[in-house]
Amino acid sequence: MQWVRHMAENMNKKAWPKHNSDLCIRCASCMAVCPVSRVTSLFPGPKHAGPGAQRFRKPGDPSVNEWIDLCIGCHLCDLVCPSGVPISELNLIARAKYLDEQGRPFRDWLLTHSYLYGKLGSRFSRILNPLLKNGIMRWIVQLLLGIDRRRELPVYDSPTFRQWFRNHLPQEGKKVAYFYGCYINTNETDVGKATVEVLEANGFEVVLPPQECCGIPMLGNGNFKEARKMALKNIPSLLQAIRSGSDLIFSSTTCGYMIRHEYSHLLNIPGSEEVARKTFDLFEYLRNLKESGNLKTRFKALQIKAAYFAPCHLRSLGIGLPALDILRLLPGLTIENVEADCCGLGGTFGFKKEKYEISQEIGNDLKEAIDRLEPEIVLTDCEGCRMQIHHLTGLKVLHPVQVLREALIP
Amino acid sequence: MHYDLIIIGMGLSGLMAAQTASDANQKVLIVGKGMGGLALFSNTVDLLGDISEGVKWKDGLSRWIQDHPDHPYGKIGLEKIEESLSSFNSLFPPPYTFQSKNEANSLIPTGIGTFRPTFLIPSTLMRGITVREKKTLIIGFKGYKDFYAHRVADQLKCRGIVLSLPEKLQGEISATALARRMEQSSFREFIGAEVKKHLRDEELIGFPALLGIKAPTGVKKDLEKRIGASLFEIPVLPPSIPGMRIFNRFKERLIQKGVTFLQGYSVSKALFKGKRCVGVEISHPPVITLYSADHYILATGRFTGGGLKVDRNRISEPLFQLPVHQPGSQEEWFEKSFFEAHPMHRIGVLTDSSLRPMGEKGEPILENVRVVGTILAHQNWIEEKSREGIEIATGYWAARQALAQ
Repeated sequence: MQWVRHMAENMNKKAWPKHNSDLCIRCASCMAVCPVSRVTSLFPGPKHAGPGAQRFRKPGDPSVNEWIDLCIGCHLCDLVCPSGVPISELNLIARAKYLDEQGRPFRDWLLTHSYLYGKLGSRFSRILNPLLKNGIMRWIVQLLLGIDRRRELPVYDSPTFRQWFRNHLPQEGKKVAYFYGCYINTNETDVGKATVEVLEANGFEVVLPPQECCGIPMLGNGNFKEARKMALKNIPSLLQAIRSGSDLIFSSTTCGYMIRHEYSHLLNIPGSEEVARKTFDLFEYLRNLKESGNLKTRFKALQIKAAYFAPCHLRSLGIGLPALDILRLLPGLTIENVEADCCGLGGTFGFKKEKYEISQEIGNDLKEAIDRLEPEIVLTDCEGCRMQIHHLTGLKVLHPVQVLREALIP
Repeated sequence: MHYDLIIIGMGLSGLMAAQTASDANQKVLIVGKGMGGLALFSNTVDLLGDISEGVKWKDGLSRWIQDHPDHPYGKIGLEKIEESLSSFNSLFPPPYTFQSKNEANSLIPTGIGTFRPTFLIPSTLMRGITVREKKTLIIGFKGYKDFYAHRVADQLKCRGIVLSLPEKLQGEISATALARRMEQSSFREFIGAEVKKHLRDEELIGFPALLGIKAPTGVKKDLEKRIGASLFEIPVLPPSIPGMRIFNRFKERLIQKGVTFLQGYSVSKALFKGKRCVGVEISHPPVITLYSADHYILATGRFTGGGLKVDRNRISEPLFQLPVHQPGSQEEWFEKSFFEAHPMHRIGVLTDSSLRPMGEKGEPILENVRVVGTILAHQNWIEEKSREGIEIATGYWAARQALAQ
């Protein structure tokens, strides 16, 4: 990984890798799992797009393959590669270069900077929400911006999660810091509330360090500069929180993956390694508590039939399926794992008009897998997956912590 | 986190060990750098190619074991091998079952039109064994470059055709993309009609092995109805769709059973106390996580999976630093001709009869570690055509031995 660090330090494209792709033995394991090349022949698949094409890329030459922008960034290819080729990273870097050359539409800026207008959205949610759901409005948005009108736009909650937290009765105990992420703050506040309630029920005092968007929307769109800007804003306050003795918990596996791994690995943010070592997925944390005998394990029975879907970034975290491990402790809850890869939303990917159909095709495989289980609700740790699964199935889709909260005995 | 058993490697041997231990309600972690060798090498279950067609496998194998006491099969014995195979089979209830013809090896056609002996054959490949007796039509797809229908048909002395795909799918197409389409009835309607149009008097149709990933028997049945002839799949170049079906089935079952399934990460370090392994570290920079267990199983394969490392002169096992049985010098690694039996293909880790690693003189090395699969010495699965058999038997037996302790 030396070259990645080197590149990140310099942010100098001349230092980008030359020979790393030679680790590839052309075994095609990645071709077995790529969700994009499975549904469209427009994308040649990770073997060709990653290490294959990399051999022909020279730093000074212009990008030639517009299909590189179709990599959805799911990391599944990395996870099956027997040779340790960082395929999705090769793709991301090539995409960044391609998009730097092409220029990014205003639409991409808008999709990746929701943190700037989220609080406004929350304040004016009563006016905004009907507009966001309005068919004519969505048609105009498609026409002007290239955001597909078939895709539901997220509506806003009011007050924000942070405002709610400020007014809730704090509990004293061992401190844990919580990184909730923009979407929870302004669009899905209940996930944040449930996280706080579950942690408090286990004797913790939750603190909210000052935080901005983690930067993954920018990184996912190949905008290293903006992503780095966000990371540099976040790290000092997160560092302060962990140095005061708190662990850092995230409930969004996407934000969590970004903070725990990409801040240091791809962006080389000073202090990020120290933060990463104290950063935990919420259910990973609860599972650790259980392992040490410190998890409250008396639960109410819930008569629910649920399906659980593991988001791509959770798989990339390499911690197994901790939410499933914990939810299996709940009496009455029937829960089955959905055997499918990638929901197809890919963060902002599925909002884009030119990619919507691909996103839906990938999603259809997931929908079929969910339909086979006939669940009442679907649970998943990532807000993108929740949006997409609701869009595909019309079912109620929750974060696992919302179900866990229901089972708490006061 | 502490487990009863940690398995390192996600190929068939590791999966088999995980399944055996989880069936006995053990707390299991399985960790693998990639998805193991199933999508690379496996379609059917090879047991031992040396057993000639028509000879019952138990007779053939028990005779062969007598001459090969050092072989992993020799260490495990016929009875346990049989147990392991039925344990594997129990994972594949109808309709997608693995069966042998008359308890013996059969010859199936390969993706280049030759024949190879194999033992347990999934139901969608089964009719391939009758290809020499029946008039057969071989189907290829334009844009799918891993299967040349005319070449295969020439070899098998039958007819081959290459179908053009609907306009939307023109250009290059991969095996997984085709397999996915096969699960859509509109696509099968198209394929069925096209094949029927080209059909003369053939009674058997051979497809490359991509008739769906999740429900291949349903795909096969539906196409057979549309075409009016029997179908079979022919194994092709990686990724192997039948191999993925095996992998997916294991994965589904293991997650159902609560096994911790860590795909995509390799163990970076093992920790020891005397002759015991006391933990393994999994590194996902910048985070290193320590996992411990009562028992460990090493199932990392030979070179493709990274189980063995080779430098200019020596071959080594990088994780537990186990001694690797190998020729004395580099000149002896290979014979002169490509198709000879190379000593390089018999190298590996030596073990005792319960698959614990040992040194050249039989001295024990680690008490709570067992070694399974193709990393084992004294087997040459390439020549023997014994890959899956060794993986299933050793994976099963190692887990059983660990449980018994």
